[in-house]
Amino acid sequence: MDKRNRTTNVLIVGVGGQGVIMVSKVLAQLCQEAGHDVKQSEVHGMAKRGGGVFSHVRFGPKVWSPTIPEGEVDILVALEWAEGLRWIRHLKPETGTFIADCQKIVPPFACRSRKRGAEPAYAPQTPEEIIDQVHAGYVMDATGLAANLGNARAANTVLLGALSTALDFPEAAWAQVIAATVPPKSVGINARAFTEGRAWALGGTKRIDVTASGLQKSRAEVHHPQVETVVEITADWCKGCDICVKSCPERCLRLNDQLKAELALPELCTGCQLCSWLCPDMAISVTNTPVQEAAS
Amino acid sequence: MKDTKTETAASFDVNDYLRQDRMPHFLCPGCGHGIALRALLWAVHEQGIPKDRLAVVSGIGCSGRLSAYIDANTFHTTHGRPLTFATGLKLARPDLHVIVITGDGDCLAIGGNHLIHACRRNLDITCVMLNNEIYGMTGGQVSPMTAEGRFTTTTPEGNTEPNFDACALAAAAGASFVGREVTAQVLALKTLLGQAIAHEGFSFVEVLSDCTEIYGRKNDLGASPEMMLAKKSAMRPYAYRNTVDVPFRPNALRTGVLTRTDRPEYGAAWRAMAARIREEE
Repeated sequence: MDKRNRTTNVLIVGVGGQGVIMVSKVLAQLCQEAGHDVKQSEVHGMAKRGGGVFSHVRFGPKVWSPTIPEGEVDILVALEWAEGLRWIRHLKPETGTFIADCQKIVPPFACRSRKRGAEPAYAPQTPEEIIDQVHAGYVMDATGLAANLGNARAANTVLLGALSTALDFPEAAWAQVIAATVPPKSVGINARAFTEGRAWALGGTKRIDVTASGLQKSRAEVHHPQVETVVEITADWCKGCDICVKSCPERCLRLNDQLKAELALPELCTGCQLCSWLCPDMAISVTNTPVQEAAS
Repeated sequence: MKDTKTETAASFDVNDYLRQDRMPHFLCPGCGHGIALRALLWAVHEQGIPKDRLAVVSGIGCSGRLSAYIDANTFHTTHGRPLTFATGLKLARPDLHVIVITGDGDCLAIGGNHLIHACRRNLDITCVMLNNEIYGMTGGQVSPMTAEGRFTTTTPEGNTEPNFDACALAAAAGASFVGREVTAQVLALKTLLGQAIAHEGFSFVEVLSDCTEIYGRKNDLGASPEMMLAKKSAMRPYAYRNTVDVPFRPNALRTGVLTRTDRPEYGAAWRAMAARIREEE
């Protein structure tokens, strides 16, 4: 079949709230401006977070059906790792391109052994196994890249940058459509995220770049005559709601420039534990250990 | 000085009761449900219930998702029906401590009928209703607990319907333990939940939680610390019911244990009947 006459199929999947619709909107707008016939159809809003969400984008000289048949997807863009695996059988076996964020959002229904440290019943396939099965594949830490740029929510634009290398449109056209689609205040970060993602994907096909991230914890020790107080704040869990800062009787906590709680004045902390009781994210733990009296 | 601080800290670590791989949870910043969840787990810990003997059943909504974070036997059920599932679970497995986490919409609107009949039966279940006065997960629609005059997505000109008094409803329907507490009073909330769990019979606890992101923002109630403290000061602990300021604040809601009666628990009667029938056969 003549390549110019055929329809190009792009499937974008995620778990909702990540920007699936934004990615498909940008792509559809771009194709339209380039003079293609475009059809886009989506499922969205199934659940705020935790539901399956996908968007089909088809473009070519003439598109008849709004949805892509199974096994006909040219490019699969997954904003979440397991969602990518869920839809991977829709990818064209010989020529499909797989672009995925390695970010894992574990659904609440993935039951697991209740032993501490046990592996969750989440998709066990490693990026290496998946990349071997596809024609071209990119597995990237888009969320991490976007977070480094200043806003993890720009992860979808990072993936858009990776997607741009697999399609035949000029970079300037992409940038223009993105700037016109996103809210005015986030044009800058989206432009940087796009450039970053594109530069990363140009580094070669079949690339894997997974950054393992552990929990970020800050720990402060406070010494009192009778008690040893340890305040631990899990920064990855803190959402910056300000409750601990406002409720601390000694006013010794504050939010740092990342909007995470931190113990700013450890010498004032009395170890009263109010912050740990009131933290809705269970990010603060305060432990008081009585000091063992040395033989006097 | 008796050092209570060190005692509680040494014994209770919330991380022992959380599914670590699910955290951080999905709740919005400043959501009162997180505080209530921690207080509930603390109460469970203080009651000395092993995790294998704890069963948490939840419905749909922001509150429904909380069971996913508890490292115990958990059951995420259909909308409004957690009490129904819990009734079956408790009758089949009387050795389990069944706790139902439900929201105001889940419990009073969609599952309102199930609530009154669960109260009527007086089966030994603890029902914790997290009342944030709104349907938070679906985008902020009006709920049976939304106060009059409040703005929500479906009442853009202010809510004109009066709201429920859930505790009075549960008590009238026959719940043998009814209590109410705000999230800001963590210790009182923990104690109340502990009493509810220990109570033999149906116990209903209304936890006044805050929806900062939707309800607070739409009604201009301030950020989460302000909302939490405002709710705390609007309440009157039950122990102060005879104090002098009652005439000045007649509408203040009471917190604490509101009803405690000694009605026979349903499970025992049901099992006695089942045993009798088996004998006759």
